[in-house]
Order: sequence, then C-alpha cells, then structure tokens
Amino acid sequence: MTNVADAAPAPGSSGRARPGLRGLGAATEIDVRLFGMVLALAIILIVFNVIEDGKFLRPINMVTLAVQATSVAILATGMVLIIVSRNIDLSVGSLVGFIAMVYALLMSQWMPDVLGMGSDFPFRWVIALAVGIAVGALFGAVQGFIIAYIGVPSFVVTLGGLLSIRGAVWYLSSGRTVTGLDSTFQLLGGGGRGSIGGTLTWLVGAVGVAAVIFLLYSGRHQRRRFGFQLRPMWAEVLLAVLGCGIILLLAWFANGNYLPPGLATEYAKEHNIPVPPGGLKVSAGFPIPIILLIAITVVMTWLATRRRFGRYVYAYGGNPDAAELAGINTRLTILKTFVLMGVLAALSAAVASARLNGATLDVGNSYELYVIAAAVVGGTSFAGGIGTIPGAVLGAFVMATLSYGLSFIGVNSPGQNVVAGLVLILAVAFDAFNRRRGGGSS
Amino acid sequence: MRIPRLAAVTAVAAIVLAACTSPSGSTGGSASAGASASQGAAACTVAVSWNNFQQPRWAAADQPNIKDVVEAGGGTYIDHDANLDSEQQLTDVDTFISQGANVIIMLAQDQNAILPALQKAKDAGIPVIAYDRLIEDPDILYITFNNAGVGQAEAEALLKKVPEGNYVLIKGDPGDPNASTFLPQGWEAAGLKDAIDSGKITVLNKDGDKWPDNYGTFTDAWSTETAQKNMEAIIDKANADGKKIDAILAENDSTAVGVAQALEGKNYGFPPLSGQDGDPTNLNNVALGKQYVDVWKNANELGKAAGQAALQLCQGKAMADITIDVDASVAPLDGNSPTDFDTPGGNTVKSLILQPTPITAENLGDVINAGWWVTKDDICEGVKAGDPGADACGV
Amino acid sequence: MAAEIGAGAPLLEMRNIRVAYGGVHAVDDVSIDLNEGEVVGLVGGNGAGKSTLMKTLSGAKRADSGQILVDGKVQSITNPRDAKALNIECIYQTLALADNVDAPANVFLGREMTSALGDLDDGAMEDATRKVMARLNPNFTRFTQPVRSLSGGQRQAVAIARAVHFNARIMIMDEPTAALGPAETAQVRDLIRQLKNEGIGIFLISHDIHDVFDLSDRISVMYHGRIVDTVKKEDVTADQVLGMIILGKKPDEVTSEEMAELQFGDAPTQ
Repeated sequence: MTNVADAAPAPGSSGRARPGLRGLGAATEIDVRLFGMVLALAIILIVFNVIEDGKFLRPINMVTLAVQATSVAILATGMVLIIVSRNIDLSVGSLVGFIAMVYALLMSQWMPDVLGMGSDFPFRWVIALAVGIAVGALFGAVQGFIIAYIGVPSFVVTLGGLLSIRGAVWYLSSGRTVTGLDSTFQLLGGGGRGSIGGTLTWLVGAVGVAAVIFLLYSGRHQRRRFGFQLRPMWAEVLLAVLGCGIILLLAWFANGNYLPPGLATEYAKEHNIPVPPGGLKVSAGFPIPIILLIAITVVMTWLATRRRFGRYVYAYGGNPDAAELAGINTRLTILKTFVLMGVLAALSAAVASARLNGATLDVGNSYELYVIAAAVVGGTSFAGGIGTIPGAVLGAFVMATLSYGLSFIGVNSPGQNVVAGLVLILAVAFDAFNRRRGGGSS
Repeated sequence: MRIPRLAAVTAVAAIVLAACTSPSGSTGGSASAGASASQGAAACTVAVSWNNFQQPRWAAADQPNIKDVVEAGGGTYIDHDANLDSEQQLTDVDTFISQGANVIIMLAQDQNAILPALQKAKDAGIPVIAYDRLIEDPDILYITFNNAGVGQAEAEALLKKVPEGNYVLIKGDPGDPNASTFLPQGWEAAGLKDAIDSGKITVLNKDGDKWPDNYGTFTDAWSTETAQKNMEAIIDKANADGKKIDAILAENDSTAVGVAQALEGKNYGFPPLSGQDGDPTNLNNVALGKQYVDVWKNANELGKAAGQAALQLCQGKAMADITIDVDASVAPLDGNSPTDFDTPGGNTVKSLILQPTPITAENLGDVINAGWWVTKDDICEGVKAGDPGADACGV
Repeated sequence: MAAEIGAGAPLLEMRNIRVAYGGVHAVDDVSIDLNEGEVVGLVGGNGAGKSTLMKTLSGAKRADSGQILVDGKVQSITNPRDAKALNIECIYQTLALADNVDAPANVFLGREMTSALGDLDDGAMEDATRKVMARLNPNFTRFTQPVRSLSGGQRQAVAIARAVHFNARIMIMDEPTAALGPAETAQVRDLIRQLKNEGIGIFLISHDIHDVFDLSDRISVMYHGRIVDTVKKEDVTADQVLGMIILGKKPDEVTSEEMAELQFGDAPTQ
C-alpha cells in the first residue's frame, strides 16, 4: 500500500514487535497522526462535556455541530489537494457566496418568473445543483487555467478571485438578501426535516461496516497475492472491531437525535401512528449534509489515493520537477485541482444556502481562512506534498467543535478567535516538532 | 512564511474589496443645469457630497428624496460620490463651490479630513448641512437619526410584548461601537437593564455580570451565517438546561435573519425577535411572524428634511428658523425646527434629529401604503391567512 | 565487451543539435552517437553543454534544431513522454524523485499500473519494484516508506530501478556517483557494467575522470557548447582528456607551452 501521508505507517519489515503505542501503530498500520487527531477531538469534546456537567455530549448538540462543520469540511477536502500541489485558493469563500446567490436567485426568481418552472416543477433542486456545479467548475477552470498555463501564481489569481467574485455577488442581487429555495433543496442543509431517519441511518451504518470488512479483506488478499508480509491477525481483528464499532456507535448516537415535537406529531399523522403521552420519539438519524460530507470524503479520498490524478497531485507537490520529468502533464493536473475545488465550492454553497433558505451578500465570507486552517490543522503542509483528506475533515471538525463548544459554554467571539488562532499555531508547531524529531531529513 | 503573508494580504484584500467594488451610480451635474431657475425666488443650487454611494440605501432612499424636494422647489440638484476617498471629497467640494452651489450637504468620509473643505465653504459663505454623520464645527446644521433611539425602540417593543422571561441578546461585530456600546445604551434606556436587575428578565447568553460587555453574543462582521451558528448553539444550550427562550433581541436585520433561520431549522417556533434596517427579507419575516419588530430609519424622510432645510437656507433663513415637514412617525421629539445639540467634540450645533420607526405587523400596512422602498410583493411574499401580516397584505 | 561499431545503424544518433538560451548557444551544432551495450562518457567543464544536450534527448528540453535518430529512424522528442516511448530513460543528477511518496510510486511515476477500472494497482507496482530491486540492490527493504527517508544510495537505486523496469535501451546517467560514499559508488559502477552487459547504451556524464575512464568505451569532450572530440578510451590518457576539457582543443592541437602550463597550473580537483 502506498502511503502518501507524511505520517507513514511504520515498515512492517522490521519484523521485531515494538512495545507500546508505536508498536500497536506499526502492527495495525494506523496513521498515527490521524489517530492523534481523533484523540484530540475526543478530548476536546470530553472537556466541554465536563464543563457543562454532561449536557454537551448529546446527540442533538453533536448533530448541530456536525452540520455547522459541513460547509468548511467539504471545501477542506479540496483545499488539501490544492495546498499539496503547492498552490493556494483564496477565492473559495467568494465562490461559495456567488454560487449560493445563484442558487437563491435561480430557485426564488429565475426558475418561477423567467423559466416558468414553478415550485411543482420536478427535480428543480437537481437542476439548480447542476447549474451551481457548472458555475463552480467554470470559475475553477478559468482560475486553474491562468495558474497552470499562463503561470500567474495561484496566490495572486485567487486573491483576484476573492475580490472580484465577491464583488460580482453584489451585482447578482444588488446587495439584497434573497430567500425562498426549493423545499427539497433545503433538505441539503439539514434542519428539522433534513435527516435521513432511523432506518436509513442503520442502513448507512451497515454499509459502512461492510465497507470496512471488505477493505480489510481485499487488502489482506492483495498482500497475499504478492506474498507481502501480512498484518498479524490480531491487528486485523482489532481494526475490524474498531472500525465497525465506531461506525455503529455513530449510527446509534445519531439515532438518539429525535425529531422536534412538532414534526414528530406531523410524522405520526402521516403514518397513522398514535401519539403516546409525553410525545412520540422518532429517530432523526444522520442529517443529510453529513451524508453528503461522508460521500464527498470517500470520493475525494479515493481520488487522492487510488487514482492517477491523486498520485500526480502528491508527486507534483513533493517535487514538481520530478513530476514534469516523469512525463506527467502537470499543468492539466493543476487545472483539475482547481476545477475540483470549484465543484466542491458548489456543494458547500448548496449546504450553506440551504441552511439559510437563501443567500445574503456575505455567505462564505472568510471561509477561505477557516478552510485553510482546517487543512493545516489536519496536517497539510505548505511545503507541499503532505496532507490527507480525512485529516482535513477532522481539522474542520476540530475547529467547528471549538467554535460551537465555546459558543455553548458562553465564550464570545473574541475569545473564540483567540482559541482558534492558538489551536492553529499549536497544531502546526506540533507537526513541525514531530517532523524534526522523527523525520531527520525533511 | 505563507500564513502571515496570507493574513496580511487578506487584510489588504478586504480594504481593496471595499474600495473597488463601488459603482459610482451618481455623477456630478446630472441636473437640468438651471433651465427653469427663473421659476423660484432665487436660483438655488444644492450640492451633495456622498462619501460612498455604493451602499444601496443612498440611491434607493436618500438621494431621490433630496433631489425631488430641491427640484420641486425650483432649485438645481448636483452631487458627486467620493468613493470612500477623503481627498476626493475635498476636490468634490471645491468643484461644487466653483459651480456656484448655494448649499452643500456633506456625508463626511472622515470627520476630521473634511474640515478644510468645510472651511472653504464657510469662506465662500455657503451653509453646510452635515447629513447622517456629524462634522465637528459649530456652524453646521446636523440632520440625522436618533441612533440611540434605535436600540431603545427595539427593546421597548420587545419589553412591551415580553415583559418577563428568558432573553437572548444577539449583538453585531465586536469592533463596531454601535454593536458594543450605542445599541446596548438604547436597550438600557428602554429599561432592559432594570428588568434584568430586578430579576424579571434573565439573559441566557452571558459570560459575566458586567453590563453591557458580558451580556449577549457578538456576531463577527454582522454575518448572517455566524448569527445562525451562534443561535443554534444557544438554542441547544437552552434545551440542555431545560430553559425556554422567550424573546430575542437582535441588534440588526442581518443577524435577525440568521436567528430566524436557526429557529426554523430547529423547529423551535418563533419567540419575539427584533432587528433594525427595514430590509425586505426582514419585513417579510415580520409579515410571516418570524420576526416581531423591525426598527427602521426612514431615510426617505431624512432626505426630505435635508432637501427642505437646504431650500430654506437658500432663501436666507437662519438655521434656527427652519421648519421641516416630515411624516409624524419620524418627527423629532423636540419639534420640527432645529434645536441645539452638544457634540462629543464640545461644539454646540443646530440639529434636526429624526426618530426611527418600529415596524410590527400592526403598522406594516402603513409601510406598504406609503410605498417606501420595499414593495408590497417583497413584504407579502408567501404570507398566508392567519399570519401576523395577513391583514396588512390583504390575504 | 564493448560492442563493435557494426554495419547496421547505431542505436542512437544525434545530429547537429543546437540549443540556445537567449542569445547564448548552450549546445552548438553537436553530433554524437551511441551503440548497444556501449558506455559513452560525456565530459566537460561547468556550462560546457553536457546536461543541456542530454536534456534534449530525455525530452526535458526541446532542441532548436537538429535530428535525433533511434535505430536509424528520425524521431521527434518534444517532452519526457516521447523519450520514454522510445525507451530512453534519464537518471538525473537530482534523481528527480518525489520525496513524499514511496519507492514503487516513484518507479512507476507517470506510468502507473492500474486495474481495469483505472484504479491504481499498488500491490502490483510494489511487487514489480521488489523484483527489479532484487537485481539492483538486494538489501533494499523500505518499499512503503517515503523516499525522503532513504539513503543516497537507496535513492539512486530507486531512480535506476525506474529506468531498468521500463526496459531502457538508452540510459542517461548524470553524475550518478556524485552524492555517494565509496561503497555506494562501487555499487553503482558494478551496476553500470551490468546494464552495459545487458546491451543497454549508456551516456555517462561525470566530473570524475576515473569513473569515466573506468566505465566508458568512448569519451566525448564538450567545451563551450561544442564537441571538442570523441575518442576511444584506449587511445588517450587521462591528462590528454583533461587538456581537452580545460583548453577545448584536441590533443594534437595543444602546444607544448599550453601543456606545460596545464601541468604546473592548478589541476582540476574534481
């Protein structure tokens, strides 16, 4: 297995079992850095829970938190590839704002007033999403072309994008807030009805469990096929139990999130269920934006680690000359990363605008900073070539957890910003320290 | 290496963004060059120096009203946009003087940098109206809104509706004195602090006991998204603590939209919620019952007052003798003639201070009938029978 | 040993190659050839044009004019992919490795093995890398580590493995021993002999005159973008080659004064 992350699994070839956590990491080949981030996230959650006397770690709160993290997390999966290939995209926030406004205008004005597609027109939300993705891809392609083929530094191009795209949002709406999205589209933002329900949540959990077992099995099969050293069986079992356990735990936890009483009553009416005294408890399960984020994370991880495109992105980031001399079409590769970023901006904008049921002039404002912070906290290095997509998603969750948790315990925005800034520096300092100690040469 | 540069450039970017996206909607000399000047008493040229015409408010409300009043009175209207540039504003005023302006209305970009221009006008014997924003000089006429009155109107409306219970306070950007100081002063003047001290009202989101700093949640950049996130956390926290939110005092409309959306997303119902600005979305929310009150500074009337004052100054009236004729909802508390106002800089200036208008479902009909800058379609979008705005919208 | 220059066309011919950077001719009307199983040492001072000439062959740099013939057929090489398609592989002095990915990913960079659906087949690539490494450097075991963590010799082996795996017929080695210790240098020398015996034609760029004499069949000396001369190793002495490198003249054109000066002057240390 090729590991492109800096925190590569320890070589299984040393043969000797090493004691403690490192030995465990070596045997299971778990990405130690990723594991550390999960641990850090867990500690943060537990600390907030202690401060709040156990009232923090409740399904409803965690669902709110997760949905709040989604827009930034979606973008962070793409930002990893941009930063890995030694570029930066400062325009993502403005692009999210632009596309959010396109969605809002499309569904509240253009579709019903100009195109004659009223609210009963089928699949309006799909059409809107397709338009948004096309707009995102187009902006990404233009910026990517200027960066890759004309050779203007991405910092400059996307800084220009940051300014001009945000300016363009004003022209779309003359600065007005536009509301009134398609009701199905709104489900992309979660909200009261925007969850998949208890049964589907268990189904998603089951699919996850099947995927974990399949991946472990096929990995083992692959190693056996070539006669490579296998993981010890106990490590495989541990991984399977851990992976499946976490997934099922999350599904169970999400199902502890019930529909709000008003909606539960409506649900009861629709399904002819008698409402018991004390109210009906209907599991809401995973919110739709989280399902979207999971899908995006899986697809992006696949692109980054299992496809040529991802391999080229990382190779270019590690050594642009080497990639060029190896015959890789590096310009096209860079262009693709920006197109991908534009598509992700459209998906992020869908969640953000669905949450607002519309768009204001400043949707996505300063997202670029949060997204870059999420990627960097998640282990992406500005030196290029290093960073993982799950890491960036975790980074986004760390930042969102801090922001939500501090809001929850009543710390105001200046305090939140102080903490967010310190965590950013701490995370990178920790990385630098680790790298100097562990890597030797860098 | 990259991070600090990024931060610096982003900061620069924000400034550039603010400066370069301004559409100069109005350019100088759009008026009819005094063709019908003979009609009025003496030819009267009223010049307006905008600091930043990009904000939609000026083009939508202030400018047309000033212009209409001046031209209806036989005067000539000219204006220019300084595009956030203090030096451009000096040039503009020079130009006005050479064009023979009789009265200059200034919206100062910088209250100190404007002083040389003011001096030039005074030297030329031209009276100056400081419009919406104060200029520290004893000889100006200051026409503005009672800004502390906005916060007061917000809190008064909510306190009347919900005199006791759990309040949530949503404040704007912590760097904006309106958010941190002036609006809370208005809340205090309306009796919010007394109600808190007497225990009638409990503020759910506070992180200490110092008024007003520890009360309420700030919203960076007055962002709707941020207000939504903060409100979601506040709702979760209130639910976790088993407390019910009875009213939400939001400082302005952009934050109120975020609050309303958080309430909607969580199916919380809609406790009375305040806002200010009179944005179409928020007036629509008032009609739908998602927002209780929207305090509005009726800039149409402010523009009219300025136009009327300018014409009367042209006729040679002393500032103290001016009388304006504005809608009763905004009429100054001290009457329709200028009164003395002590400025923070130690000057005493003649001033006309208009009142903000609290809009609830009850007087929404007046807003619709007056045909102010929000159309009935915008206000009544999606309003059904039984909604608070049903009567006003005629459904 | 060295293949005779036979009746057929040479493996490779470069004819009248010119490359200019701005107004300066880095390579000026150079012609050179290479046979199967032959090592041609390419020597010259800094800026003599050796690396630029080789870049036109590896596709890293386009020649302004001139022809490249492989097996007697004119070929167009405009980028690294063209060169690789002709089984021309270059091992750059910098090794051109992506430090952040592992050895198999580097060996197959740009030519990955994939499944039917286009997914990377990392297992197959690691397997192939293990096989080629078994020939080149049997002690190599760190197949899943980023190559950053490898020693200089191991990195060199990865770079060479890339050329060997893809059945290079023409190999360019730019200073292959410059960054290596004595033991690793000896290893690389053995390797070059082994590749030569397998019939691969090799251009060897080196500052180390001993390397060149030890490994080459013929030696081409470049000076200011031109070929001074191409000589058979057994026809010249190391001093004569040094003379050509420094003075840019063939041995028989060098005056005795110049030769004397060369003897007393500072000999090149590299």
